[in-house]
Amino acid sequence: MGSKNMAERVEITAGDRPVREINQDIRGQVQAGKPIVVSNTMSRHNLGVGLPAGADILFKGSVGYYCGGLNDGARIHVTRDCGWGVGEAMATGHITVDGYAGMSAGASMLGGSIHVRGNAGPRCGVAMKGGDIIVEGSIGYLSGFMAHAGRIIALGGTDDAAGDSLWGGEVWVDGPIGSLGVDSKIIEPDSVEVESVEALLAQHGLDGSGRDWKKIVSAQRLWHFESRDARAWLMI
Amino acid sequence: MCGIAGRILEQPGLIGVDLVALMQAQAHRGSDSTGFALYGEPRQNSYIVRGVASDRRSLDQTLDEFSQTLRAHGSDFIEDPSWDSTAQRHVSLRMIVSELDVRAWLADADTQEGIEIQSVGRSLEIVKDLGISHEVSLKHSITDFVGSHGIANARMATESRVSPTASHPFWARPFPDIAIVHNGQLTNYFGLKARLQRQGYTFLTENDSELIAVWISDRLSHGLTLEEALQSSVGELDGVFTYIISTPTQIGMAKDRWAIKPLAVFTHEQEMATATEEQAVRKLYTDEVPISNLDGPGYSTTWDVLPAAGG
Repeated sequence: MGSKNMAERVEITAGDRPVREINQDIRGQVQAGKPIVVSNTMSRHNLGVGLPAGADILFKGSVGYYCGGLNDGARIHVTRDCGWGVGEAMATGHITVDGYAGMSAGASMLGGSIHVRGNAGPRCGVAMKGGDIIVEGSIGYLSGFMAHAGRIIALGGTDDAAGDSLWGGEVWVDGPIGSLGVDSKIIEPDSVEVESVEALLAQHGLDGSGRDWKKIVSAQRLWHFESRDARAWLMI
Repeated sequence: MCGIAGRILEQPGLIGVDLVALMQAQAHRGSDSTGFALYGEPRQNSYIVRGVASDRRSLDQTLDEFSQTLRAHGSDFIEDPSWDSTAQRHVSLRMIVSELDVRAWLADADTQEGIEIQSVGRSLEIVKDLGISHEVSLKHSITDFVGSHGIANARMATESRVSPTASHPFWARPFPDIAIVHNGQLTNYFGLKARLQRQGYTFLTENDSELIAVWISDRLSHGLTLEEALQSSVGELDGVFTYIISTPTQIGMAKDRWAIKPLAVFTHEQEMATATEEQAVRKLYTDEVPISNLDGPGYSTTWDVLPAAGG
């Protein structure tokens, strides 16, 4: 994904330094127009939050909670795993995660895209309002929970309760679905939609052709709450 | 949103050093109190009792009464009790007592005013106090403790009072050597507590985490393995939880079916480090080791403590 040669990147070390200081260094280099590599990431939280368009940052290692949160156009690449809420509430831009994307990846995101090369944990795309999450592996329990809009595309199946309480988003699955969540259903995608998903995958170097797509959407029964339907909300 | 941790060393060593580091890295998750359950060299024919006396000014009288109850149960101090040397009102006590029937003795000892028993064990010692990790460690010399394994907690109090006694870890009263730390809240606490009380169990606090320790230990006393007891707790306990429980030979964890409360773990041969936050585990392993996140719903597992050489 347009990764710059390491030698061209300005190196910032995370280690034990205060996160505010690390993020100020990142912001300074972004303003100077320099691509960045952050080393010794040590699973630290809140790295690279709220970065603007033009920022190009590589996290060499695993990061903690909310990496790339509130992203406003940056291209972010994490070479290992992410903790809770990678790209939370991002507006635009792109995040690539080479490893496991943790819990609540892309929570409440509004736009942009997240590409996970490994698996994503529970509640992937929870409450998302737009944008795309592409996961080459599987997505965890309750993925897509209460998503309003946007697409989650899982190429390696899902855990249980897929698309639980979906409002308006879509969960596209190739591979086994553990179980469907409350008020979600599988529908047959039309050819225009499939082409759109294939084109999106192609942008990220993935082959979308010949896949056995199952598109999960809201069954819309819970759009209007009626007390007689209360049992439908109860999953335990 | 407490922070919890567990640690098993490959061989007995400065277990407190690692647990203090794991908790200091998670101090932001709860600064009301911090506590440690540490397993040292197991004793023969005696128990280590850890407790808190509520008033330093009447300590002599409190210890007097305490030893009378011990003697009434055919036991006694076999070393002079020791305690913290601060000027604070409450006193953290460490007492070594000779063989006794723990359950029968507790029925009397727990009625004594002015002292609360926080742990009893052949090897377990629970040390907990107000403040963050390094404060509690400084006061109680946690980093000097030599042992094989232990668990720890940084508490942000939600549903019961802030005091040394209401801090984690909790001892599984009256089962020697079993302790728990917990991140979450139970919603069927009162029903389960009433059921256990009818079976004769007593509780020192109003804390739901103390209940889990006793509930699991009760299951173990009925012949379940720790693995079986942990898995059955996933269906029986209602609410939000990820907890870590420790025995002389194992550390185990379980999380509820919603899987909200995180836990990260690194294992290498017999060594294990686990914490709510992955960044805490990395304080012990600075070379980018692979850390697993136990994120699945209803997940439980155990780790074995290597028996000490010659043990």
